[in-house]
Amino acid sequence: MITCPNCKNEALDGTIFCLECGAHLVGADPRATQSIQTSGMGGLKDKYIIADTPPITTQAWGTLHIIESGQLLPLSERKEYTLGRVNEGQPTAPDIDLGPYRAFENGVSRIHAIIKRIENRIILIDLGSSNGTFVNGVRLAARVETPLQNGDMIALGKLKIQILLSYVN
Amino acid sequence: MPNPPGDLYAILGILRGASQNQVKRAYLKAVKKLHPDVNELPGQTELFHDVQQAYDILSDPEKRARYDSNLPPVSQSKPVLKTRIQYSRSSIPRQEQSQLVYALIDILPAPNTPPTHAPPLNVSLVLDCSTSMQGQKLDMVKATAIQIMRRLRPQDIFSVVTFSDRAEVVIPSMRASDLLRYENRIHALHPSGGTEIFQGLSAGYDEVRRYFNPASVNHIVLLTDGRTYGDEADCLNLSEESAALGVGISGLGIGHEWNDQFIDTLAKNTGGVSMFVADPQKIQELLLQKFQHLATAYAENVALDFEPAPDSELVFCFRIKPEPGPLETKSPITLGAIPRDGALTIMLEIRVDSLSKAFKSMEFINGTLTATLPGSGSATPAPLTVQLPIADELFPEPPPQAIIQALSQLTLYRMQERARAEVEVGNYPKATQYLRSLASHLMSQGERSLAKTVLFEAEHIERKQTFSNDGDKAIKYGTRALIVRPPEGEDQP
Repeated sequence: MITCPNCKNEALDGTIFCLECGAHLVGADPRATQSIQTSGMGGLKDKYIIADTPPITTQAWGTLHIIESGQLLPLSERKEYTLGRVNEGQPTAPDIDLGPYRAFENGVSRIHAIIKRIENRIILIDLGSSNGTFVNGVRLAARVETPLQNGDMIALGKLKIQILLSYVN
Repeated sequence: MPNPPGDLYAILGILRGASQNQVKRAYLKAVKKLHPDVNELPGQTELFHDVQQAYDILSDPEKRARYDSNLPPVSQSKPVLKTRIQYSRSSIPRQEQSQLVYALIDILPAPNTPPTHAPPLNVSLVLDCSTSMQGQKLDMVKATAIQIMRRLRPQDIFSVVTFSDRAEVVIPSMRASDLLRYENRIHALHPSGGTEIFQGLSAGYDEVRRYFNPASVNHIVLLTDGRTYGDEADCLNLSEESAALGVGISGLGIGHEWNDQFIDTLAKNTGGVSMFVADPQKIQELLLQKFQHLATAYAENVALDFEPAPDSELVFCFRIKPEPGPLETKSPITLGAIPRDGALTIMLEIRVDSLSKAFKSMEFINGTLTATLPGSGSATPAPLTVQLPIADELFPEPPPQAIIQALSQLTLYRMQERARAEVEVGNYPKATQYLRSLASHLMSQGERSLAKTVLFEAEHIERKQTFSNDGDKAIKYGTRALIVRPPEGEDQP
């Protein structure tokens, strides 16, 4: 057996290229690790590069800007909020009721999405809504964390909301 | 019946040393193709009798011995194919553990073969005319079809079949010189209905069969942008029948909805290729290229028939040149065509399981190459033996550059295949891991745009757990296109 120097996968004797990671195993100089610039690649954002942004305040860390009505909803004490609309006779209610902002007409589910603050990151998770959650026009997979940046445009169904974050200073 | 019936071994397409088992298999294969019940072509009943007679003699050890004693020495039958094998190592170490051996095989015209004429074509163009083809796609296809018709040589035979819910023979098989009057039929094509590939394929097959001639390049070129439902098994059965007769099938898929794995299997069964265009503008380029390949074949229907050796297994087989594509790993393998001005190159990956016994050398594949030479019919079969001496000690040695070259690209293609397989079983983290490794290799080779596509797909899978529209196909055919060996200088035929 040969052990791939790159990914430590075991390969049969005589293997020339590791089938697991594609590294050259025989008859070549070990290849230096290549790093790839992902910034500036059409539409791709590296979700973990947050070093440049200043820390987000712990109190009153964000605001939801309902585009249609111009209303501002503060996000302050809690670290996470569920978004949705209150329905008569429904046992669980979302933390933020979007009912007054024509949520039903815009196709917002009763428990539609959740917005969380983890340290210096703000993430949005779609909770399996019927009409989907979009960030800057791109639909999110259900129950997958998506990082948000200041000014990102969210849509719950057709209800458009801009996220505004408050930074220290 | 022509007399004498010629070399009985050549009639069955086997070598003089063929085992009884091989004789029987070759006979069954020939019967399937030539039996009067399935084959009404004029002149082929006689061929069937020849085969019958050859089998009667060769299957009986006594008669065979008598026949052999009257045969001229082997050297008199001129080989028409030449093979050249490069191995990843010059010997294999004796060990119990499994190990891998790579063989890069060039199959080319034998030196000093008399120059043959460019073979006449017998091609059916089978076009998808379902509603989804409407617009630019169909316009492009029409323009290309007409261009192809105008470029054909007088001896070529051509037909056009369209299909949607049912098939229609728009232009029946005819000589190229008569085609001019039918151009308006191509202009009049109108899209409607669904996609039922079998209907079209089977009508195209019938058209090619009407003028079938072993001395021509017999081929079906299928164009589709959709997925066929429920008749894929019928199509695959047809492709086996068509391979047995010697009719190749190539497929060109447009856009993201067609099933590339299905078309790949069709092509693999018959020695054809599958191609992909995302942009209708490219249809013309690819189709003209395909016809160019067809018209410049030296040998067609090259096939490798072998008995698997014990203790080793052919795990992967791929055609590197002239048109890259995956191949079968079980005998018989349909390899495709040998171009007039180059070689048919294939890569084999063989796993050797146990080498503890006291052999001096190991034979992995002991097979026979058969082919038809357009212009002169069946070629004398050539033996192909893939074997290496067994060494008691391991000598570290770098593999030949050509093997490294070919494998480095092939590995990228295989990583993409693995990523797709992982997506299919729902193992998304593994799939994105493969894609990210693939992207970094592509980057280091300067394939920036393909690398970006791959990275984008990795992100897409993370978020949506599936490839984007035609991302999987773009990566597959993108990495496949990288697999072309650089031209070798000196010993081109």
